Amino acid sequence: MNGRPRWSALPLSLRPPPVALAILFAALTGGALVLVSGHNPLRAYADIVAGSLSLGSLPDTLNWATPLVGMTLVAAIPLRGGMVNLGGDGQLVIGGLIGALVPLVLPGPGAVAAAAALAAAALGAGLYATLAAWGETRHGIPMLISSLLLSYPAVGVTSYLARFPLRDVTTGLPQTAMVPAAARLYPLSGALNVGSLIIAAIAVAVVFVDRRTVAGYELRMRGKNLRFAGYGGVRLDRQAVLTMFMSGAIAGLVGAIVVLGSQFRFIDGALLTPAYTWSGLMAALLVGGEPVGAIVAGLFFAALQTGGFAMQRDTSVPRVLALVLQAIVILFLAMRQGVGRRFR
Amino acid sequence: MSGLFTPFLFQAAVQSITPILLASLAGVLCGRVGVFNLALEGQMLVGAFAAIAGSYFAHSAIVGVAAAMAGAVVFSLVLAYGATIFRGDPVVIGIGMNLLASGLTAYLLRVVFGVSGTFSDPGIVGLGRITIAPLIGVPFLGWAFGRQSALTWVAWALTALVSVVLFKTPVGLRLRGVGEEPDAAETLGVDVAGARIVTVLLAGALAGLAGAQLSLGAVSIFAEDMSAGRGWIAVVAVMLGRNNPLYAAAACVLFGFADAISIHLQSLGLPNQLTDISPYVATLAALVVTHRRRRRAASPPAEVAAATPGKAEARPEGR
Amino acid sequence: MAFLVPEIEAVGIVKRFGGLVANDRVDLSAERGEIHGVMGENGAGKTTLMSILFGLQTPDAGEIRLRGSPVKFRSPIDAMAAGMGMVHQSFKLFASLTVWENIVYGVEPRRGPFIDRRAARTKVAELAERHRLAVDPDAAVGGLSVGVRQRVEILKALYRDARVLILDEPTAVLTPPERDALFGVLRRLAAEGRTVLFVTHKLHEATAITDRVTILRDGRTVARLRTADTSPREIVRAMTGRNVNLKVDKGPPRVGAPLLNAVDLTVAGPAGRPAVDRVTLTVRGGEIVGIAGVAGNGQSELVEALVGLRRPDGGRVEVRGADMSGADVEAHRAAGVAYVPEDRAVVGSALTASASDNLAMGFHRAAPLALGPFVIPSAFAERARALIRRFAIRIPSERVSVGTLSGGNLQKVVVARELSHEAPVLIAEQPTRGLDVGATEYIHEQLVAERDKGRAVLLVSAELSEILALSDRVLVMFEGRILADLAQDKADEETIGLLMAGRTAEAA
Repeated sequence: MNGRPRWSALPLSLRPPPVALAILFAALTGGALVLVSGHNPLRAYADIVAGSLSLGSLPDTLNWATPLVGMTLVAAIPLRGGMVNLGGDGQLVIGGLIGALVPLVLPGPGAVAAAAALAAAALGAGLYATLAAWGETRHGIPMLISSLLLSYPAVGVTSYLARFPLRDVTTGLPQTAMVPAAARLYPLSGALNVGSLIIAAIAVAVVFVDRRTVAGYELRMRGKNLRFAGYGGVRLDRQAVLTMFMSGAIAGLVGAIVVLGSQFRFIDGALLTPAYTWSGLMAALLVGGEPVGAIVAGLFFAALQTGGFAMQRDTSVPRVLALVLQAIVILFLAMRQGVGRRFR
Repeated sequence: MSGLFTPFLFQAAVQSITPILLASLAGVLCGRVGVFNLALEGQMLVGAFAAIAGSYFAHSAIVGVAAAMAGAVVFSLVLAYGATIFRGDPVVIGIGMNLLASGLTAYLLRVVFGVSGTFSDPGIVGLGRITIAPLIGVPFLGWAFGRQSALTWVAWALTALVSVVLFKTPVGLRLRGVGEEPDAAETLGVDVAGARIVTVLLAGALAGLAGAQLSLGAVSIFAEDMSAGRGWIAVVAVMLGRNNPLYAAAACVLFGFADAISIHLQSLGLPNQLTDISPYVATLAALVVTHRRRRRAASPPAEVAAATPGKAEARPEGR
Repeated sequence: MAFLVPEIEAVGIVKRFGGLVANDRVDLSAERGEIHGVMGENGAGKTTLMSILFGLQTPDAGEIRLRGSPVKFRSPIDAMAAGMGMVHQSFKLFASLTVWENIVYGVEPRRGPFIDRRAARTKVAELAERHRLAVDPDAAVGGLSVGVRQRVEILKALYRDARVLILDEPTAVLTPPERDALFGVLRRLAAEGRTVLFVTHKLHEATAITDRVTILRDGRTVARLRTADTSPREIVRAMTGRNVNLKVDKGPPRVGAPLLNAVDLTVAGPAGRPAVDRVTLTVRGGEIVGIAGVAGNGQSELVEALVGLRRPDGGRVEVRGADMSGADVEAHRAAGVAYVPEDRAVVGSALTASASDNLAMGFHRAAPLALGPFVIPSAFAERARALIRRFAIRIPSERVSVGTLSGGNLQKVVVARELSHEAPVLIAEQPTRGLDVGATEYIHEQLVAERDKGRAVLLVSAELSEILALSDRVLVMFEGRILADLAQDKADEETIGLLMAGRTAEAA
């Protein structure tokens, strides 16, 4: 009844891969934006590539990729099962705050304190995330909405705590006291620390669970057809709560890793400004939660953003351009995916 | 408690309701034609930026408002065409649009005005208040509406208008059918895609108005991400109101008062980090209360369930 | 009654969808005042042809003629303006709108910028009165029974003064008395000079109501017969191209112990009335028990309670003697219940998942598909391949997603999976809906084979002929209650038909 889009007339082999097309389209549109601001798009793009992938900048990229890929997994895990966790920000800061506080109150060797901090952060954030799951299973409130709404109180309360009762009064800034050196994450090279290895290990684990476990199969099937999964005996409510717990726990872990590995204290707003949660969400949405694709997309976005920093330093084109490019890529792909859905 | 229900509280409440009300009207219209609109946040933001830009360059609030509507409409083309002709997932498109709006307005803020964070300038003409002298003394209603911007009046008038059109006119009947059973509407001669596109663009204009109220309404300023979650509250208002403009407006009133009370609590000395969260807590409470009556067996509102990625993959055999 | 020129003709209609030719130079012609049957198996091209006649699709070649003049319909608006009306198989109604709103939708009477509600309601009431189609104009369509909704659909067409009325499988959802009432309406409409195109695959109805029939097979017109001059056998031969055994071959049942019991089972329904009202039934090994009844009388809720998808509000379910109260689906399956659901695409499978994944669901927690918490992908593939072979499922490989399969093949996937469970209890709901004769035959054979292996088979179907052909015992469900439990020799269409409408023999 409606017209068919032109590209479906091409035979499959000739059609360019959608992701490449999306990136091209974003590059063109972004290039126009750069031109409008009076700068040279080619130079800007060259800077992005050099600033992210060259040998010197690779550690920075990987360091940025650690929380970003982590938050990608946070979004991807529930998305694989057809659930949307929009509360990553709230879970992130809960984890960050817990991670900053535990080493301050826990006696014992630094490594133990760090491990306990990470575990507590994951636990706290995971439990908070399950509130959204309960909302849906018990009361029918869509997780998409409740997870987002829960994020605001979490951010507000942690912000208040960092600014007032738990504030480090020796500095003039809204942040908690410094984490003792012994509890900080073991550095690797430059800015990289062992937290990156932890996230990498989690990424591998997520892929493994998705491909090789009963839980992974059941989550995948839920994502493809909720009623089919229920009909097949999957315990849907329990699955929702567990999945959200895992998702929130990883977010909490990311928060604690950033605090214990880079910032060494909980600084109000510092975990949210880089927009890890939303970039991660975009990466996960691109691939419908499929883990390997999500990780690749997360790495790509991390490179894009790190390159954006370099671009701003070099050409003074604002680095938010990177976020604009990201959004364009995802919108383009959202439309193409929809087009691809029309099977005759 | 006696210090709580002051005239100022009512005025502040109604003022903060205005952008949410306009955005929720936009959401209601989109919901009625079957396009789940999660991009309200981004549409408002684009409108807010365009309003500031328009007012700054033309030194006129009217131009600012017109620019807000135009900008938001152009921005909404993405959702209008993306969700209909291109059959994209409205959830992905909506979230993507929000992120695009955030990045784009931040980018343009730097490139056009040369600042980051916020922009304000004496050259910007704000909306100003319309004071209706005889009304000011009247308890409650008078306190609420005695001094408000023109857009506040427009918002409430539009709420009534949308209600009437939706339930009493042929156009409204057909739109309601499009959202409920697009197949049936198509069979009966309604161009479903066309109706959806037009409605989404119209909703964009409304969301643009909301943005104009944000940036030109009280103080004339644009701040990055100044929509600050109001778009999401509008989404919830639409949900709570089951796509009915009057019920959604009632939900908006609830949030507006929660917001105003939070400001009052601030003035009592509570830190704003805590008081700022009261609208969201109020929203959550409202959700729990209204959903408690529903049995667990009932699924989330059809459009949310269908729009959530993954569930949409269960596509019945086509013919 | 003979006119010089047919009221409506399709001449050489061709329609392709990608590589598939749905209509291959199809011809049809119907006279004014005639009730014309359009018959064929599922997939023969009937619905496509009707879509073209109603303007929902445009033909690639060929012509439509109304009263001899060629017409082109670019959309249903054109068709309706020319006097075509259509009652679709799945109703195109707006559940939240009222009857009158549904009927005038798109052609609303106006008063200024507003809808003239009074005029609309009055017109609708008059129309209903004149054609003896009783409806309440102010009722919300969502709360109406299927029979009444169909009346609304017919009124929609009559409101637009349809001269040619197309009905696509209208009796699939009606009780026998409702069907007779519909036939009365159609005869009156034909007597008024309107033309009725009656699409059906049900033989006995076609022979009962039509004056002539056009039979389609594989997208072509293969026969155009005068109903009075032909026989069901001849029609079936034309529809399928071969001689089909109209009866199912089965020997007498060898009945064993009760394997599935419902005792005083109650499931609450909307608005206070129970959907399932103290149902007690027993299915023993080695027999097929059929539940007849029009959809919506509690069968779905009953089945959901029996398989564990829904918790009963009263009474209990027993599988092989074990009380399943409070048990979930997993427990029911473990206890030995296999379930072929009524909606194969929405419940019975995941269309975007591979055949391998689909065939594993329900067994994926145990050997050989799993080891502890881990799954074994190679075992998935092996099992899938074995089932594809055994059930002759037409699919290129087990990795292909099942969304591309035809209805019959998809149902085979569902049945293959459930049967490979080797479960002592098998519940099958509408197992042959939307399938052609060949696939239907196959499914019936499988059900009888299961029964002969000693399984307890519970069959729920709205297709009365299927129930009568397969069941050793027939239960009739009406408004949540079991009204009768009849042995095969006592079960005939008339008795059951009355019971399906709620009229017991005493009350009739």
